[in-house]
Amino acid sequence: MKVRVISLVLVLAMLLAACTTTGTTTQPTGNETITFGVLAPLTGTNAEYGKGFQVATQMAADEINAAGGVAGRQIKLIVMDSKGDPKESSDLARQLVENQEVMAIIGDFTSSASMADVPIIDEAKITLLSPTASNPDYAGMSDYAFSVMGRQSDEGPFFSTYILGKYMQAKKVGIIYINSDWGLSSFKAVTDQMKVDGIELVAEANYVAGETDFTSVITKVKAANPDTVLILDQGAVAQVVNQIRTSGWTDVRLATLGPGASQQLIDLTKENSEGLITSTPFFFNEDDAPAMAFKKTFTEKAGFEPTVHPVVAYDALYLLVEAIKKIEGPITREAIAKQLATTEYTGLAGPIKFQPAGDVSRKYVIGQVKDGKWVLAAGYDYSTTP
Amino acid sequence: MDYAISILVNGIVQGSIYALMALGYSVIVGITGLVTFTHGEVMMMGAFASFYVFELFGSNILIGAIGSFIVCGILGIIIYKVCYERFLDAPRHIALICTIGASMIIKNMAQIVFGPNQKPMFGIFENQLIKIGPVQLSVLQLVILAIVVILALGLSLFFSKSKYGISMRAVSQDKTAASLMGLNVNANALLGNVIGCGLAGIAGMLISVYYQAFQATMGGPLGMKAFSASVLGGLTDSRFAALGGLFLGLIENFGIAVSSASFRDIFAFIFLILILIFKPQGFSKKGGIKL
Amino acid sequence: MTQTLKAWFSDLPKAVRILIFGLGAVIILLIPRFLTSSYIMGIICRILLYITLAGSLNVINGYTGQFSIGHAGFFAVGCYTTAILSSNYAWDFWFTLPIAGILTAIIGLLVALPTFRMTGIYLSIVTLGFSEIIRLIALNWTGLTGGPLGIKGIPAPQFLGMNIRRAGDYYYIFLLFAVLFLLVTNRVLKSRIGRAWISIREDQQAAQSLGVELVKYKAMNFAYGAFWAGLAGAIYAPYINYVDSNTFTLDEGFNILSMAIIGGMGTLGGPVLGSFVVNILNELLRPVSAYRLVVYGLLIVVMMWIRPQGIIGASDSMLADDRTGADLLERLGLKKRRTA
Repeated sequence: MKVRVISLVLVLAMLLAACTTTGTTTQPTGNETITFGVLAPLTGTNAEYGKGFQVATQMAADEINAAGGVAGRQIKLIVMDSKGDPKESSDLARQLVENQEVMAIIGDFTSSASMADVPIIDEAKITLLSPTASNPDYAGMSDYAFSVMGRQSDEGPFFSTYILGKYMQAKKVGIIYINSDWGLSSFKAVTDQMKVDGIELVAEANYVAGETDFTSVITKVKAANPDTVLILDQGAVAQVVNQIRTSGWTDVRLATLGPGASQQLIDLTKENSEGLITSTPFFFNEDDAPAMAFKKTFTEKAGFEPTVHPVVAYDALYLLVEAIKKIEGPITREAIAKQLATTEYTGLAGPIKFQPAGDVSRKYVIGQVKDGKWVLAAGYDYSTTP
Repeated sequence: MDYAISILVNGIVQGSIYALMALGYSVIVGITGLVTFTHGEVMMMGAFASFYVFELFGSNILIGAIGSFIVCGILGIIIYKVCYERFLDAPRHIALICTIGASMIIKNMAQIVFGPNQKPMFGIFENQLIKIGPVQLSVLQLVILAIVVILALGLSLFFSKSKYGISMRAVSQDKTAASLMGLNVNANALLGNVIGCGLAGIAGMLISVYYQAFQATMGGPLGMKAFSASVLGGLTDSRFAALGGLFLGLIENFGIAVSSASFRDIFAFIFLILILIFKPQGFSKKGGIKL
Repeated sequence: MTQTLKAWFSDLPKAVRILIFGLGAVIILLIPRFLTSSYIMGIICRILLYITLAGSLNVINGYTGQFSIGHAGFFAVGCYTTAILSSNYAWDFWFTLPIAGILTAIIGLLVALPTFRMTGIYLSIVTLGFSEIIRLIALNWTGLTGGPLGIKGIPAPQFLGMNIRRAGDYYYIFLLFAVLFLLVTNRVLKSRIGRAWISIREDQQAAQSLGVELVKYKAMNFAYGAFWAGLAGAIYAPYINYVDSNTFTLDEGFNILSMAIIGGMGTLGGPVLGSFVVNILNELLRPVSAYRLVVYGLLIVVMMWIRPQGIIGASDSMLADDRTGADLLERLGLKKRRTA
């Protein structure tokens, strides 16, 4: 008996579900706008990055709209909160895919969420352009999946040969890295090349996201007495740097791969980051007017300084628009994806040109903290870099 | 050898931070007799409170401590009214779930109000290093250790000697009997919760000063560590809770030394489960409360 | 409310009842045919998944009063089992199911066994710790689980030579297991075992003195709940296509728990309703997405204040703290104070 009542309730509730949810998905139609979906973790532990996505893409859209839009159409963004959770993200991807107005999707932040979305966007033949997904398998999963963060298989070897080897002349390197998809693939990319370059890896230690106390990790690496410590992370680099320096270990050189030349890193470390070296595709250089303008507006709107993540999200939208401009004929989802694969664009974070898999080879320069500012590392002959 | 000593020192220093968190926790659980999930969030609020106090009144760690104690004490009153007052003699899972709900509210409101990004906390306490042979400590680490010892002994004295302390202990042990003896159960439980939350606020401040950063999402893992540490004290005795924190720090650091920091929480939880299996009431002499 | 609905339903003539039931079944089976939106089908699939998950948690929490809050761990074990067997060893999806379920049940037993000396809240914490241990093992055991890179490209289940991948098709798999779970559990609860569980929930000592073997029945209960959580994980793996340890955080455990709590514990229908309410609310609250989790928190607190057993939870059990509802009504002046 009970079961029957339950099944009755089940039906009623499902109908209710159907009624309530269809109401929210219908969008006003009109040809004067072009709509993109943005999937970003606006709540949860990655909220900082999600908020960055939201602000940066909206900034790009506002600028493009103010300049007359693309192909005579104004850009509209539908920003959705995926919490960084693959389940939520894939449900939202379905919702965006179904909205025929949506021409392409930017997102998600995490690789796991992006990878859960791939089967859905692949079936719908719509572009999923993730600014940050860095799992090496992601972009190759579908012709419609793209990533603009830059491949670890490029940055890692560059870091080893040109930064650790030629620039820093490091002999014995200790590596501290985050145990995530990004951290692990970066670690592999760097250490494989270190073997080729003849740089000795004397110690390695990893930790999981959310770690606050790095003293044990640092002690472990310090015991091997390296001349250079390389930190592979995006979020916790500041704490690692702080804890290395405040523990009194001042005679070791520090390098980091991941955060790029981010002002936030300096804010969080103050003088502890003096001399820190990183590979970065771009600078918030005072001579670079567009970058400084971005930084100023972003900080006003978001309430915090940009890292590299909002910059690539900003570039991602411009890249999409660039692709759409080049389309001859009607603008469809498939046409965008096809055009995107061959579009070249130079954004704030440097030139973007997709590899066959759908990810990007970037060019990097060496950044160093001098007097509390990121500067291009001096005394290095860039003509020798690839 | 030097390596082993530095692991030992790391363990003690980190353990003292765990101990700091566990102190407030053991007071709350000891008095209300109910486990809380809001502790980490209260610590986070303590960090934010001290940040604004430092901005307004200058970087004085004592004023910061008073500020975060007051703010978190008030928060403690609210938490008590929402999560405990009605449920002191109800099935225990009800208050537990209530605190899960309350922690969701606090954490996410903090993220909306204060923003989701990590914030720096600098220049509050000068980083001076002291070297004694192979042992190297910073002044702040010594201060934290001292605070833990003073608080642990002080609280213990307070609960065994002072009038208020004794009546609070009576309430924690048997609410019905205490009320029959003319004690105001509600007021005592409220006071205990306020003290516990205030201590959590101070812990939050010290943690953010120590790590030089704080964030709205910092609370969750801290709350779990505070719980794990105070389990050793049967959840109620502040001295054993502090010892539990130290012990936890040592186990984690030696564990990490032989494996990897990725396993940190595995050591913490296995330690916790082993204690619960073999000594479910902790090492406290009186025996902990029955939960 | 449920009582009157039930009474009304059983008063109907038998033919009408069969008609309603049959009609309901037909509608349910035809849902993917007239709901072409894959977004809505995705939501319905999620609701069905959580019916099994929250329902299996309810078997533990709502029927024996053991308070587990680490259900995400069991979910993870099932999910990884199917992902590993079907991706790395090319097992057929359907054969991985029993393995996933049984393995999770065994792990459930392993968690339950050391916890019999403890009661209430200690047990909760052990389940919580266990859930984190499982997640960290999945993150660190790179050889087996892919570690932080996870397992991708989990093959879709085959049925009559057809690949089941789209939400509209996968709906039937989720539905099958949700219904199977409800039917089987309904039987179990009415059996001697189920009655023993309930007696433990109401009064452990009394139950023991009446000859209920506590250890045996509590262990069975844990294993049974874990079994279904493992199955839910197993059917979820190919659906999401990519598994990594970030899916199984403590927040996921709280999410499952909140469905059981809001819908109601100690009744079969409670978690079903809870899964509907929470998941639909989740969609309705999207416009104010930043406040979503705040609203959940508020809902949980409010539910504890006015109806701790949940919307349609077992009112006549220790889960319902019958003072609270009455108290609040008295305070608000809606009900006269009871005289002693």
